[in-house]
Amino acid sequence: MKIRNRVSGSKIQLDMTPMIDVVFQLMIFFMCTLKVIEPEGDFDISMPLGAPSAAAVTEAELPPFKVRMEADGNGDLQALYFNGTNLGSGDQAFARLNSEVFRAITALQAIGPDQQEKQEVEIDPDYALHYRNIINAIGACSGRLGQNGIPVRYISKIKFAPRREP
Amino acid sequence: MKFKPANVAPAELDMTPMIDIVFQLITFFMVINKFDQDEADERVFLPRDSLAKPPAVQRKDAFVLNFGFIRNVDKSIADNTPYLFFGDERITMEQVRPRLRQESQFYQTIGTKLEDVTVEIRADADIKSGMIQELIQMCQEKDIEFQRFALKATQAAVP
Repeated sequence: MKIRNRVSGSKIQLDMTPMIDVVFQLMIFFMCTLKVIEPEGDFDISMPLGAPSAAAVTEAELPPFKVRMEADGNGDLQALYFNGTNLGSGDQAFARLNSEVFRAITALQAIGPDQQEKQEVEIDPDYALHYRNIINAIGACSGRLGQNGIPVRYISKIKFAPRREP
Repeated sequence: MKFKPANVAPAELDMTPMIDIVFQLITFFMVINKFDQDEADERVFLPRDSLAKPPAVQRKDAFVLNFGFIRNVDKSIADNTPYLFFGDERITMEQVRPRLRQESQFYQTIGTKLEDVTVEIRADADIKSGMIQELIQMCQEKDIEFQRFALKATQAAVP
């Protein structure tokens, strides 16, 4: 059967104007609502409710690594101690802390494979110390960046010591 | 002198490439726009650390405490008192207890166990550490009783 093509050859003209209007409006909306926010991460932390007691440490549990941080008058780090050893101040102190924690967990791995997971770090800062130092210390205890930026984890259990008075 | 009007058909603009580019732009802005970070307050200047990574699994129950300073245009601290920012409202640490109690009651009302709720603390790098400890202690007080805490930091670029 022969079907006649009755439609004439003229093109159908689509009016694009409303679509372009809407598309531009959308683009302006997304441009205006764009917030340039740097990516954020976090560290889990706990804080014991009461004062620490010597009896709380049993034979099965190892005592926590103690990180003591002293502040100067401006709230900057004056001295950093790891288990009583003075590691100095400034960024170098955090690099030394990182090495000391690595040395300590290497010793722990020799005791048992799961000892590293059980180990805790207790951070004991002066009241006036700037918070950025806490994050640096937590970072130094948590691990280091390995090859290709993949983190090598040291210790994940981090807690605060009871607060010192201002 | 007399000019003859040219009998030319109206010029047709091909809109296709422009629409293509505009759609690509919209897609780009939609993808990079992070609507889930609406709770992050821009007034808080977080400390930086290269090991601060977002949690592998997104926390289901978490609420954010933005703790920072009022700053000048040049980002210097205008007022030495730190404030907790809740949208447009700002309160001092002494005034935050009722707010924390309210949050705690909210989670209990919807049947969420408080041990499953993480308090994400976005604190300014210049805040005194003792204040962060005080804030955590407040969150643990009777009638509030939050148990899990996370300290936020900006991911420093890998050198």
